[in-house]
Formats: sequence, structure tokens, C-alpha cells
Amino acid sequence: MSDPTYDVVIIGAGVSGNLIAKQLGLAGKKVLILEAGPAVPDSREQYMENFYLALAKTPESPYPSIAGRLGPGVGTLPNPADLPTPRATVLAIGQSPAESHLIQSQTAGAPINAQGDVRQLQFSSTYERVGGGTAWHWLGTSLRLVPHDLTMYSTYGVFQDWPISYDEMETLWGLAETEIGVAASVAQQEPLQAAIGLTYPPGYQYPMGPIPTSIVDQTISSAVSGMSVPGDGNENKNSEGGEEYSVFVTPTPAGRNSQPYQNRRVCAGNTNCIPICPIQAKWDPTVTLGDALDTGNVTVIYQAVAVNIAVENKSVTRIDYLQWSADANGNLTSTPQSVTGTLYVLAAHAIENAKLLLLSNDQQGIANCSDQVGRNLMDHVLYLAWALADQPVWGYRGPLATSGIESLRDGEFRSKRAAFRMEIGNEGWNFSAGDPYTTTLDLILGTNNSQLNPQGQRFGGVALAEKLNFFLTRQFRFGLLLEQAPQAENRVTLDPTYKDGLGIPRPHIDYGLDTYTMEGYRVAADTCSAVFQQMGAKEFTQPTVNPYPPGRNPGPGDFSYQGKEYHLYGAGHIMGTHRMGADSSDSVVDASQRSHDVPNLWIVGSGSFPTVATANPTLTLMALAFKSAQSILAALGS
Amino acid sequence: MTTAPVPEQTLADFANMSAALTGFQANVLRPFLDPVNLSGLYYDFAVSQVGQPAMDALLGAYRAIATQPVQIIADTLLETASPKPSNQAQICQSIVLVWYLGSWYKPAYQNNGLLGAVVQVVSSQAYTNGLVWKAAQAHPMGFSAFTFGYWSQPPASLATFGVNVSSGGGQ
Repeated sequence: MSDPTYDVVIIGAGVSGNLIAKQLGLAGKKVLILEAGPAVPDSREQYMENFYLALAKTPESPYPSIAGRLGPGVGTLPNPADLPTPRATVLAIGQSPAESHLIQSQTAGAPINAQGDVRQLQFSSTYERVGGGTAWHWLGTSLRLVPHDLTMYSTYGVFQDWPISYDEMETLWGLAETEIGVAASVAQQEPLQAAIGLTYPPGYQYPMGPIPTSIVDQTISSAVSGMSVPGDGNENKNSEGGEEYSVFVTPTPAGRNSQPYQNRRVCAGNTNCIPICPIQAKWDPTVTLGDALDTGNVTVIYQAVAVNIAVENKSVTRIDYLQWSADANGNLTSTPQSVTGTLYVLAAHAIENAKLLLLSNDQQGIANCSDQVGRNLMDHVLYLAWALADQPVWGYRGPLATSGIESLRDGEFRSKRAAFRMEIGNEGWNFSAGDPYTTTLDLILGTNNSQLNPQGQRFGGVALAEKLNFFLTRQFRFGLLLEQAPQAENRVTLDPTYKDGLGIPRPHIDYGLDTYTMEGYRVAADTCSAVFQQMGAKEFTQPTVNPYPPGRNPGPGDFSYQGKEYHLYGAGHIMGTHRMGADSSDSVVDASQRSHDVPNLWIVGSGSFPTVATANPTLTLMALAFKSAQSILAALGS
Repeated sequence: MTTAPVPEQTLADFANMSAALTGFQANVLRPFLDPVNLSGLYYDFAVSQVGQPAMDALLGAYRAIATQPVQIIADTLLETASPKPSNQAQICQSIVLVWYLGSWYKPAYQNNGLLGAVVQVVSSQAYTNGLVWKAAQAHPMGFSAFTFGYWSQPPASLATFGVNVSSGGGQ
């Protein structure tokens, strides 16, 4: 057979791959996308039905080839060894290799090493392998980084600088905001200039006006007016270096429509951005994929799992992939195929990118002269804190989050501990305690898993409805995204034992937290408690909560630091595994996300982030994809 | 297996009993025009789980007190004052749970005393019609009939959502 030759072959139909395909297609270049997972469906009705019927409405629950449905009662998940495209799922966190795609070096009890780092902790973020990618279930948060996020080494003496200027990023963020259709107001963000240095080019306007704030937001905003907190946490309030930082709420720039945009509707507040927006008012990568296909220059092959990036003389010569299909009983067949292009883009997200780079060249690896491929695996490790307000705030309404406290994202403290942003949740205790299920069960059965029924009473009738109303309308939570430090020993490797249904080695994860990051947890906890106190809210934060169906083990995600217990939650922001830098000896890609070692290969996505800062990553990884598209076009001689 | 249609009076009693148990108005659970027919679905599902004799006995117990105030009916059938609810009260708990959450939970007596073991989401419409979302003055996550920006204003009253609010109760 004779393969068509493409200008560019892209692996992965997610945010970055689709954006690059669209830009190249618009420029008249012939592009092929190989997508490991199933096709984007004609309508999202089936995905919605999957979601409605899922017992555990986890981020993965709507999406096919799933791991996610537990059988009747407490069941088991499908074995990744039987699946063509297994992926990390929330339900599989902490489970054995018979259920978890990721093979984790993890131990309950999280040992501390000589440096004081907690090791063998479970990595707790997940991703999809499906047409459209993981950003089917991004939240829509579209915050820019702040200037010091790009200069952590030069400003604070820690980690790495980004090899790209803030001025250039501002232009790229603007392109990404137009692509997504970000709803925000520059004027509303203005207080963040003095607080954390956030600026915009003169005259810049977002594509559409802001999303209205929720009553939860409004209540917190009023309560914290004039409040400040010490950079080193409450315990050190009067100690040396305890500068005060002002606390205030700002509406969050959001990739959801406040007006019709790209033939998509305005947000109706389904409170379901994760796992799935029912009406596509939130931008997702399938929007951009549609645009790419409309250029007439882009082709997608689904169910095509890349297994080797063939490199000769520092140049990619072809991609080998397995074209798979499954019968009604899940029996797999696969056919080896190859495809050639002039240039290549690896856009399969941070863990699968690293896996394929390490897998290629008969598992000798490619593009890895720096030995950084797979290392510096990071997340925005999440601190969850929840409380009952002293008045109704009416959660479970509106987009999942509409505001946050961004004023603590930068400061001198970053030389010593992780910064964080504080996302305000509009979904009551859904994330934090599995509500409204947990409290409903408690009040009917007389249990106390929510902590809201300490007497173990049972209710029925109007008394039940009113009791539930009292609690559910007062619930709210903060989700704090902490800036995890890059560490070489946090890494993705090829597991030597476990393989997927196509015979491909699965990712092995070694993961932990250093004291810089854990010190951030300590201040995060103090800060949340201080805000709750300021509000007159009653805090219910628990270090260990089991949000899983009865009988499921949440696994070893708990750790202690300075005598206090914490639970590690993932933000779903997987970063760092092929970091960018100016120096090819300690980075994998350059500022255009082009491989230092293999110049006709671009390795794209949040895996390129050398440091993770505190902004949700999608906007920035899309901005970087615009830069990659520009450099690819330049390399093609356009 | 062919089964005779469930008599109208049985379904009406099941819906009225459910209204008392849940605290919602009966016409919310079983509207005059009812294409979704959750009361029929839940009656059938409950019978499939606990058996016809247990359902018949429960409805008999309900009919004996059907003219009492609804809160008394709820507290009596759910045995809320008892430290250990009977098997029949546990079935009532499962019925309240399915109306609130759209999922059937096994009565503890069927599961070695283990509380809260879930069987399944009965149907997608069961999920999207869960009463718990109305009790929160909200909407099911992933199924909103409200319009842009509603979340920046307080919701309608709890009574508007169909709760039989007590005097002075509700927000």
C-alpha cells in the first residue's frame, strides 16, 4: 500500500493537536491527525445518557471505552489489560493494576525521605483518550499567568524560568482567548495588577463580556472586604517576614459563552462543566476540530494508537500505529500501519506523550538526550476546604465556578513555599463530600458521613425536605490549586510488567511532594480557615474523606506535614513531563515546543510547562500551541 | 412473564404515600399529565426488589393511616423515632431515596445490615427528576431548565419547588 504523505502528522486530537491542525489547515497544509480513541460523536446525547446513568459521576463518566461504570453495587472496573486505550480514571485512583491504567509506586502511609519529602504518594489526576481529548471536561477557567510565573528562578531563586517573554505570551493568550471565546472583563481584573502584576496590552478587550457571579461569590466577596492574610500562614503571624497580602474575590475569565459565539449557545448554568456541558456553551476541543476539518485539509483517523516514532539521523521518518477495532463483546483486533509526513507533532497529553517518547526506538527512547522525558511530573495539587455559611448561598446553581481569590498567587513567599489560587465552588459539597448524595443518605438512614447528622437522627416528610434545604443551600467550598515544585524523581516511565489490550507497556508513576509544596498546603489550610472565620462560616474540612461508593478504597492519597493530616486531591492538570527550556541539556523542547534533539518533531501540551504556577493550564497550553503552529509553518517554508 | 397492569388505585396510593414520605406535593410526584410516569416506574422497580407481598403490606399500612397529617404518616412509616427501623421502614427509606436521588439503594435487611448500598440509577429520567435538587432550590447537575445568569439571583421559594413546607419553614 502507498501511504499518502502529509505535510504534518499529529498524534492526538485534543486541545493542542486540533488547534495546530486548524492553523495549518487554514494555511493550506495537508494534515493527518491520529487519534487513539473513538470518534467524536455526531451529538453528545449518548455521552449525556452515560453520565445520567453513571452511579459515580466522575470526570470520566460520560466518555466511552470506559472504565467508569461500576456494576451493580460495588463492582470492579474493566481491566486495562483488556482495553485498547485505557486511561487514568478517578474511580481507579489507588486501585490495583487490575483496574488502574497507571501503575503507581505507592504505599499507604506515604514515607518521608531524608530531604523531608513525602514519597510513594498516589498521583491523583486523570485524562481521557477519546476524540476531543481531556478538555471535554475542562472547567473553562481561562486565567493568564502572572509575570513572575515565567521567572521563578530569576525572581525567587527557585526552579526554572520559562524561555519565553511575558510580552510574547500576552499576544499568544489573546489568540487563545479568541479561539475559545473567553468571557471576562479587563476592568474587573484590574485590581490584580497591583496585587500580583497581571497586565494586559493597552486597549485589550476579551471576546465577550463576563459571566455573572454567583451568590456564593458575592457572599464571600462582601465578607472578605478589607481582609489580609500573612504570607507565611497564621501560625507565624508575628514572625519575621510575615508580610500581609490582601484577600479579594475576582470574577474568573471563563471559556463559556455569555453571548452566542461560534454558533454555540450561552451558558444555562447546568453546573456540570465537569464532566460534560450538556449544551456546549463551554468551548471544548471538538469545536476547533470541526473548524480544522472544515478547512478541507485535515483528516482524522480514529482508533489509531501510535506505538513508535521512528527516528533516523535525528529526524522522524514515520509514525507506526495500530488501527484497532472491537466487536460487541470487546474482543480486539488491530492492524499495524505506518504514515509519513514532513513534520510531526506529538500531542497526546503529558503522560501519554512521555510514554510514547520512551517507547519509541525499541524502548531506547527518542528526543531524550536531556534525560528529562517523563520527569518533573506535576499537578496543581489541590487543597479542598468546605464549610456551611451562616446564611443561604444557594450552591448547586450556575457554572461550577465563577470567581476566585487570585490575589495570593504571587509574593515574596514564593522563594519558600508554593503559591495558590482559591477557586470558589458553586456545587456545594459535591466535590468535597459527594453531596447531595451523602447528606441525603445520612438524613434518611441515620448515618453521619457528611458530618451534618452527628446525632444519627432519621428524617422523613417535610422535616427531611426542610433539613436538606437548610444544609444544601448553605454549603460551599474552596478548591486551592497549589504550585507543585518540579522534581526529577516525580516521573513517568514504562512499566516493565503491565501492558494494555494492544500489548503496549503502561505508564509507571513515581510521585511525591517536597517541603516547598507541602508548606503551601499548610498556609492554604490556614488561609481557608481564616476566610471561613471572617465569614462566620462553620468549617467541615476533613483530611480524609471517602467520596467513593461504599466499599471502595480511596487508596494511599493521605499524607501528614508538621503534625497535620492532608488528603491529596488531583486538579486534573498534568504537566511537566517534557519541559521547555533554552538549554538542551536540561529540557526536552524549546520555546516553540520543538524537540531539541529531533528538529522535525514538536512535543506539545502542558507537559512542556517547566513550572506550573497557579493558573489552570488549558489557556496557556493553547497559547503555546499557537506559537508551535507559527514555527511549524515557518519550518514548512510558508 | 406477563403481568396484569397495576390498578390505578394502587398507583395513586403509592404516589400519595411517596408524597407523604418525601415531603413533596403529590402532584409533583404524579402530575395529571405524566409522560415520564416515575411513580409507575418506581412502583415496579420497588416490587422487583422487595417483592409483591412486602409492597402490598406497606401499602396496607399506609392506607390504615392515610387520613393522618402527612408528617405523621412519614414518621410512622419510616419509624423515625425508633432506634432500629423494621424491614418495612427500611423499604420506605429506599422509596424516599429513589425519589430524592433517582437511584435504588438496597434496604439494609437485604444486605447484611449494610446501609446505603446502591443498586443502580433507575433511569436517566429518574436522575433528572430527583427531588433532592428541588430541595436545594436548584436543578440536577447536568440538566438545567434555567436561563443565563439565573445563578446571580436568589432562587424561588422552596414551596415553589413543590415542597409541602411547614408553617414558617423554607427559605
